[in-house]
Amino acid sequence: MNITITDTFIALYDDNESFPLLEKPVFPHFHQNVTKRPYISSYYAATETIWAHCQAGMELLADYCHDDPHYGCYALLFRRLYPLLLSSSHAKNVVSYGPPADYGVYKVFQNFMSFLQEDNALTALPQSAYAFTTLKDGSCHAFLYCLDAFPSLPAVCDAIGKVRPGGLALLYTIKDPLPAEFNELCAQAETDRFGPCTVYAFTINETLSAFAYENGSEHVILSRAEEVLKRSGDLQNLVHAMLTDMSLPADAYLIAVTILQQTEEILLSLYDYLEDDELPVLANALKECILNYYGGISRQCELTSYKEKLTQSSETFFTAIEREFQ
Amino acid sequence: MKKYNMCMIPARPLENVQLLKDRVIFPYVCYRTFGESLRLVTKCTEDYPYLSYLEGAQLISLPEEQSHMEAAVRYVSEHAGTIDLLFLFGARGEYMELARTYRTLRPDGIIYLKLDANIDWINALPLSHKPFSDFLQNCDIISCEARQIQSLLYKKWRRPIEYIPNGVYYPLYPEAADVCYEEKENIILTVGRLGDIQKNSLLLLYAYALAFPQLKEPWDLVMVGSVTPEFQADYEDFCKRFPPLAPHVRLTGNITDKYTLRQYYRKAKIFALPSRGEGGSPNVFSEAAVYGCTVITTGVDAAPDMTDNGRVGRISPDIEDFDGFAKELAAVCCDPDYLSRNFYEMRTYIKEYFDYEQLAFRLRMLVELQSLKRRQS
Repeated sequence: MNITITDTFIALYDDNESFPLLEKPVFPHFHQNVTKRPYISSYYAATETIWAHCQAGMELLADYCHDDPHYGCYALLFRRLYPLLLSSSHAKNVVSYGPPADYGVYKVFQNFMSFLQEDNALTALPQSAYAFTTLKDGSCHAFLYCLDAFPSLPAVCDAIGKVRPGGLALLYTIKDPLPAEFNELCAQAETDRFGPCTVYAFTINETLSAFAYENGSEHVILSRAEEVLKRSGDLQNLVHAMLTDMSLPADAYLIAVTILQQTEEILLSLYDYLEDDELPVLANALKECILNYYGGISRQCELTSYKEKLTQSSETFFTAIEREFQ
Repeated sequence: MKKYNMCMIPARPLENVQLLKDRVIFPYVCYRTFGESLRLVTKCTEDYPYLSYLEGAQLISLPEEQSHMEAAVRYVSEHAGTIDLLFLFGARGEYMELARTYRTLRPDGIIYLKLDANIDWINALPLSHKPFSDFLQNCDIISCEARQIQSLLYKKWRRPIEYIPNGVYYPLYPEAADVCYEEKENIILTVGRLGDIQKNSLLLLYAYALAFPQLKEPWDLVMVGSVTPEFQADYEDFCKRFPPLAPHVRLTGNITDKYTLRQYYRKAKIFALPSRGEGGSPNVFSEAAVYGCTVITTGVDAAPDMTDNGRVGRISPDIEDFDGFAKELAAVCCDPDYLSRNFYEMRTYIKEYFDYEQLAFRLRMLVELQSLKRRQS
């Protein structure tokens, strides 16, 4: 994949295919527009025009990132960012999650942004579960999110929540297909695709904000915590019945194990937010004790030790759940 | 409940001795517990006399002209329809293509991966390599052999990992039921490749020397296994430096006859495991425990599991701490009440939590649930 740059045209091309990125605009009534669109004055300046900067920026992008599999994505991102950056003379705040902060693509974007407006800021977030916590909701004009770095719907929704109404959320990836959890969200996007590179562009509006809130980590955590508590309550009754030798249907043990497997999976999905990161292991240990106890019954073994371990393990698990979620 | 057609494929050609170790024995017990058939698919590089212990298991010999794994992938692509449960052993890159092929051909089939990994191995796995992470993703059930590793894997892999230790198949130890403490002697036994860097045999030799003056009764140290030339030299040097100890320390050499080996477990009161690292609890531990030996071990990953957190054995955590290991040795040797009591405790513990039939029952339930999940999806 390469970028072709002419006096009036910039495009991605690969073998026989091409994808237009930018076209030098023609302003027939330049003098009438100059007061309404301040950037136009520099556009036609004798030196350092926006277009020249675009061309130089694309050349730099090729130098820095040509061997990067996301190279095409960066070019497509630039295409989407370009109108937003030029939309007004106000300073813009762009946030990125994906490549490391010292990566070349940032230099290209930041150079161009600074040329347009000295106060334009591009911030690269670290790849950490806590990366978004310092950002206020609706605080940035655009969010560039690499789906290949962390393909998690709650995280993407958190990112979308950081973008102000009318701003842009740009998700990019070189993987196909996306995890199924993204289907509903990405159906709402304008999609740019070239080769393996795809950019999903969202202009933030009320519908999208509502979706992001519903699926963002705070909401997801709370609803999953409720699910854990509900399952834990069901389990407590089942385990109590096992330990007090109440008569149980044959599939009670398998039901308990199924509930624990589901609990384990929910806990793993909340892993980054857990105070006690041993909780999924404790769920697994309880599952093991239930299966051992059930095995002991089925194989007509002495049950004392299995019962003791089941008692200990269930107490440990339920106490830990209570400490974590109540 | 459903009976499964099972297939075990090692990452490398099977050796005869491996037929009675965890990689084959556990699939075999699963077959006896809930299997319709069991195939051991391997390129044959030697004779397999131990196959006679595995009644009902079929050895499928892969053709010579291809590499072991190429031939195994081909076998799976031709026979996936008749494999309901595929056993893999070790998180090895060699399995990537095999697992992918099976998963493509049998979306409803179950892949069980027994990790056989220690912490160093886990930390070296190329998780960011997509084909490798896909391989792990393709495995329905993954188990490890030590709780410490299980805990680490939850942090690193963020997926359910079962704890299934290396256990014991009791029918292979028919005389174990008759063992009594009274027939045991003051023997400290170790079994392994003596001098192998992982086995850390020198630690035991010198810890024994340090403990020796504190012993109230004479104790012998019996070291069973092949001996490296370096360790042979160390042993000879040891005998010269400590002449009074020399008659009490014996290297038997490698013992291939199972009956003879079991007589050592039967007679020993203590089993010492001075290893630097093990992939879970070693098979020799389970064998020693069946015969009621009290185990003294270094802090290998499975040490808390082998000793029920120090209840039925002792742990000297530091693998280089000669004094610490000697202290544990001396303390246990000088406590006959503990040793006789622990003979029963250890045997009960191993029967309850390391019996492969009990572990196979547990795996069966997990397989059933996973099967149900696959059918539903």
